[in-house]
Amino acid sequence: MITVETFNTHREASSALNDRTRFLAGGTLLMRDVNYAVPGIEHIVRSLEPLRTIRSEGDSVFIGAAATMLDVINARETAFLAPVSRAVGGPAIRNMATVGGNLFAPSPFGDFTTALLALDATIHFADGRQEEIETFLAQRDSGRRIVTAISVAPPLSGSFLFSKISRTKPKGPAILSIAVRLPSGGQEARIAFGAMGPTPLRAKAAEAALSRTRIDEQGIAPVIAVATEGLAPADDALASQWYRRQVAPVHLKRLLLGGQR
Amino acid sequence: MSSVEFRKDIFADERDDDFNEIGKPRIRQDILGHVTGRSRYYDDHLFDGLLHMRCVRSPHHHARIRSVDASAAERMPGVRRIVRPSDVPNNLNTLLSLIGFGRDDEPLIASGKVAYRGEPVLVIIAETEAQARAACNAVRVDWEVLPHVLDVEEAIKPGAPTVNETYPNNTFDYGRFDHQKLRFGDVRKAFREAAHVVEAEYQMSPIEQAPVETCGAIAAPETNDRYLCHTGTQALFFSLGTTAKLLDMPSSKLHFIGGTVGGGFGGKVDSLTEPMAVLGAMLTGRPVKFQWDREEEMQVGAPRGGERWRIRDAVTADGHIIGREFTGFFDSGAYTRLSSYAIQKGTGHLPGPYWIPNVASNIYCVFTNRTPATAMRGFGITGVDFAIECHMDRVAETVGIDPIELRILNSYRDGDMKPHRRLAKNCALVECCQVVAEKAKWPISQEARSASSLAGSSPERASIPDTAVDEEGKIGDRRNREIDPAPAPGTKTVPAGTRQPGEMKDAGPQRPDMMPDAAALGLKRDQASAQRQMPAAAPSARGAPQPVAPAQVRPAAPAAAPPAAAAQPQPSAPAAPPAREPGPAPSTGQPAEVPYQPDKPFQRGVRRPGVSPFLSGSRRR
Repeated sequence: MITVETFNTHREASSALNDRTRFLAGGTLLMRDVNYAVPGIEHIVRSLEPLRTIRSEGDSVFIGAAATMLDVINARETAFLAPVSRAVGGPAIRNMATVGGNLFAPSPFGDFTTALLALDATIHFADGRQEEIETFLAQRDSGRRIVTAISVAPPLSGSFLFSKISRTKPKGPAILSIAVRLPSGGQEARIAFGAMGPTPLRAKAAEAALSRTRIDEQGIAPVIAVATEGLAPADDALASQWYRRQVAPVHLKRLLLGGQR
Repeated sequence: MSSVEFRKDIFADERDDDFNEIGKPRIRQDILGHVTGRSRYYDDHLFDGLLHMRCVRSPHHHARIRSVDASAAERMPGVRRIVRPSDVPNNLNTLLSLIGFGRDDEPLIASGKVAYRGEPVLVIIAETEAQARAACNAVRVDWEVLPHVLDVEEAIKPGAPTVNETYPNNTFDYGRFDHQKLRFGDVRKAFREAAHVVEAEYQMSPIEQAPVETCGAIAAPETNDRYLCHTGTQALFFSLGTTAKLLDMPSSKLHFIGGTVGGGFGGKVDSLTEPMAVLGAMLTGRPVKFQWDREEEMQVGAPRGGERWRIRDAVTADGHIIGREFTGFFDSGAYTRLSSYAIQKGTGHLPGPYWIPNVASNIYCVFTNRTPATAMRGFGITGVDFAIECHMDRVAETVGIDPIELRILNSYRDGDMKPHRRLAKNCALVECCQVVAEKAKWPISQEARSASSLAGSSPERASIPDTAVDEEGKIGDRRNREIDPAPAPGTKTVPAGTRQPGEMKDAGPQRPDMMPDAAALGLKRDQASAQRQMPAAAPSARGAPQPVAPAQVRPAAPAAAPPAAAAQPQPSAPAAPPAREPGPAPSTGQPAEVPYQPDKPFQRGVRRPGVSPFLSGSRRR
């Protein structure tokens, strides 16, 4: 028997979390597990606190954790993330799936989070604390905290690249996804891979190489050479870890060169 | 409305053009309910106190079951019944046993060992689906993992693990051989005479039918010890017959309701969910639903089987294909299901729509530790057609001929002899190619443009040549030594004109009372005895069209005696099914196999001579 408890605020809801509890937002991941009776789900917690707003604050954009992929596509402030949102699921999924839920999506899902990782987003929790996204992802599956918002600094025009590689287009899950922030205007280079590990991961060796080179076929060769260093892809029904390692550098190269081979 | 263009100018004199249906747009009979959302699928039928059924499935491709411990599951909330293999009254079946083809090889619930990943070993019935799933997770199975084989050619090597104890050599039996042979002329001679030999291998992966509505059924006790079953099957009476056999009950005790199928395409003929649901209703006395989820549909839902084909063509310098050799492997998965029949269909289809004077083929139905394969649109034909047409292009390239002209050059003409010893008639590939070329603005020569399916046959093309036959690949031989799976050179020659080489006889009926009773069918003459008196082999007059030989009809086969024929007395040659091809393999002179005899006769449901105990009259057409 599964019980569902609804709270007025996220703060109250987070106090009800324990090992056998899951938090329900858009439900695109959780309801599948409920329908398939994945063991360990006994208690579902919801919150009525409205957290769908997307607004600019200073240099950053605040995205409420309950904002859906569709909200992100429709908001002017998040225009730079619209192509990423469009790559998530089909229209029905985008209508329900939330930004907060995507942070917890197991591989190979979580394309949106991959983009947030490359953009150095900050995660805000119900208890008022906040955390860098990389720190958050490293201990994502052990923590019991409710995310209320994400803040992210919009990249300079043309410096953010994203690509999702899937077998079924347009809505198949990712074989891998890549988000790149090119070094410009004081922002450091970031290269994040989705579906290349249990959570989206940064390719730090490649980032370091990218920050001291120019973007052309020859210039990026050292970046490509170390593209998969530090990544930990797994075998799944979509691709083997071997295949993912083989194709990740190729797709990174294509992304950096803007579709040129 | 219709975008189809009818070329009624072609063969205009062969056809009355007064069709009422063909060429006219028709509204699908069930479309109104579908588009208005009113069609009731099996899962739309609601029952009070409905119980839910889930399977504990094998995580291994091949494993012995040392023990199954369901004690924890039994105590879990909501669990109403654990169904074990011993609860299935007749826990071994093969789908085509309903027409007497093949041996029982597949349990409804596996005991002893599993042969594919996802095979059910225990079933749990609980109040809710979640409870049933939770209880399944609590079952502990002690597995002894066995070596498995997933490739068809690995599976027929000596020493490969035996997948299916009923067929210990990992191949279905065709007469005395572990493969289906087709021999026509002498391909070795053709290869010696050929200017080009074109050889290639083609491989098709299994394909899941992926219906929107996953397989399932709801069964409920009815009055008078009957059981009601709502099902999404595409083969309602086939499922009813299979259920009657597995549950060892008369078919009259079963009341199946269906016909509204949420996507089938062949994937819903395997009759796995119906017996399970009815068994659940029998054991609990309550309505029971057994429905696969999406993962089960993908993992254990039987796909179109994988196929591998090797084709070798002997081609003259001017593009005539004078010999074609096939080596084909059908991956049946762990059990037979319908694959044995796909091989027969495939063999009957060779060598494609082309007149080739020398044809040899060996086709294997191979058991591997993969999900059993089953029907999917045109199974047995689609894969080999893909291979043949790819190969035609390859031949065209090798010889340097336009691919459409190569097809026109080699197409069957009316009156040509086919390798399974029937004359080609109503041929139209030449005209199809011409129209395609015209539509695609593809230039073809004047000669190809003026060709016709009506002209071009000859007494030579209409005759059965001297045929080389061999004895390679007898059942079990491959266990002892490696044997090339390709057709072996002939060791004997069957003289030209022999329609049925050797004393190939039809298998008799399984039981004497399965012989159709002419009187009961309303026939004036005992048709069965009339058929048996027909000569087994009659050399053909060259070039003369052959009548359809009723000698091929097996009196026990369900195809015999259609109701239409039964309704009107036919004194002379009754009830020869016109579409039935002969067994395509002329093997050599050996007495026929001992007819298939089940250990236990089927339970009679309807006690009328000649009437299948499982099925109503609708199958008997």
